[in-house]
Amino acid sequence: MSTKNNSTPSLDWPAKTNHVPKEVFEMEGLWEEELKNIFYGEEWHPIVHRAEIPNPGDYKAAQLGEINVFAVHGDDGEIRVFQNTCTHRGTSLVTESSGNKKELECPYHRWLFNLEGDLVGCPGDREFSPDFDKKDYGLLKLRVEAFYGLYFATMSDKTPPLKEYFGESFYEPLQRLLGGDGRLNLIGYQKVIYDCNWKAYCDNDGYHGALLHKAFAMLNWQGGQGTQIVTKNGHLCFDSELTMPDHVDALEDGSILDFKGTETSNGSIVLMSFPITVYTKHMDMLNIRYSFPKGPKGVEVHYAYFSHQDDDDEMVRHRIRQSSNLLGPCGLISMEDASVFSRIDKGNRTQGDAIFQKGVKDEYAIPLEVGQTDETGNLARWERYRELMGFERRAK
Amino acid sequence: MSKFSSVNKELIEILNNEYISALNDFNMDNWLACFSQQGQYILTAEENIRRNLPVAFMLDDCYARLKDRVKQVMEIQYDSSEHYQMRHFTQLISATESENGVIETKFNFSVYYTPRDTHQTETLCVGKYEDSIVIEKGEALFQKRVAIVDTNVLPRYVVYPV
Ligand code: FES
Ligand SMILES: [Fe+2]
Repeated sequence: MSTKNNSTPSLDWPAKTNHVPKEVFEMEGLWEEELKNIFYGEEWHPIVHRAEIPNPGDYKAAQLGEINVFAVHGDDGEIRVFQNTCTHRGTSLVTESSGNKKELECPYHRWLFNLEGDLVGCPGDREFSPDFDKKDYGLLKLRVEAFYGLYFATMSDKTPPLKEYFGESFYEPLQRLLGGDGRLNLIGYQKVIYDCNWKAYCDNDGYHGALLHKAFAMLNWQGGQGTQIVTKNGHLCFDSELTMPDHVDALEDGSILDFKGTETSNGSIVLMSFPITVYTKHMDMLNIRYSFPKGPKGVEVHYAYFSHQDDDDEMVRHRIRQSSNLLGPCGLISMEDASVFSRIDKGNRTQGDAIFQKGVKDEYAIPLEVGQTDETGNLARWERYRELMGFERRAK
Repeated sequence: MSKFSSVNKELIEILNNEYISALNDFNMDNWLACFSQQGQYILTAEENIRRNLPVAFMLDDCYARLKDRVKQVMEIQYDSSEHYQMRHFTQLISATESENGVIETKFNFSVYYTPRDTHQTETLCVGKYEDSIVIEKGEALFQKRVAIVDTNVLPRYVVYPV
């Protein structure tokens, strides 16, 4: 490791695009740069789906980088995202991860904000500074765009509009994942901290599926036809047919793997939006994984699961059973991913590069057309990361 | 009314001790043996219960699912898990018998874990068990054990039932 202009860390990045220096997971000082260049830069971050805060006054706390924010459902039906701070001296306004409030009152000096974020009361304001005007003291609002009920926030005015930022190859499957019309109901959360750098968490690939996850082999699962589409700015979309075995011998209760598939989908969709969020529609599970790096070490993941408003009781029950047993930090087909995140993190506290192989055709190119079971879909994300962080690639 | 109205506390304590010994000794067959043929096991977060959200961390809602849980731990994911030693501490809070002979019990629990690489002990979760227990042939068995963790954000992925 070397340092350039003062203490900004610098990394000697390999010439080959399929090599990622292991130091990138561990190097001191990177997190502060990542906050500035990525999390507070020109990216959209999902904060909440309307189904999680369906009624006026419902709120949900979250983080964007290290900034505490909350989304609140206004009396006017709009959902807004604010920084969690009173505009007077900065007391946090919501102190629970979720709840319902009629208005937002700061306990310190009783400034009062409505659910739309306007300052509507502040005791003793006749003695405030001469140019004090309530209108200047509304809550700090983030720029927000919604997509079928899913609200994204960005810290930058320059971030392109949501659809342009994602591109059709990403947002079209996202629409299907959100039930086609976004009319979802929240059915629950699984929350966990994974012991790894955030970049190890989102580096899951298309190659490992049938190899790591023994359940796939035991259940005689054939992947089905599918594609992996990569966007230049590092978003990833796996879209595959799901062909389920007629009979599941390996389990006593095979019904957990039934694929009823009522909504608009081939079967399985896995999306990864830069920098860190995964969305899945696997069998009958609709799942968004809100992810919050805990600084350079550890990432907190909130798996949110949904049903569709048109589901009958049987379908809802089925989604609950699948969501509770297949994905998440204990899931039959995803606990191994969690284990790998932690092991990758430990394993990368060693020398050398992490090397991608499956699907590499040209070691000096960034592939955007990628086979379903290749691991090269991750390279565009790494390239975007490298560029945003300003690391020079070594000459060929 | 007493929180321990006329129930056989000893049988309940024996069952609970067998349950936590099974987990702390990595004996998933003994874990399964703590359940009746109608047995269910649920591991969920306090937040989901409070907000009436039915998704859980583990939802074994029939005996076949309990058997599949054993298979998941012992076969399907055995070699990809980073195993850890668990240690349970429990405290019986209440036990009452309902009309149909089912005993409803509550235990507090705290569970520590010690990974086999760092050997540093940390808290896995803290919470309560809400149980329905039946007595069959002089032996107490879980018809249902629901583990509700206050630890809404678990500190790691979870390999075994709690
Ligand atoms: S800090 Fe909120 S009212 Fe003073
Ligand atoms: Fe996986």
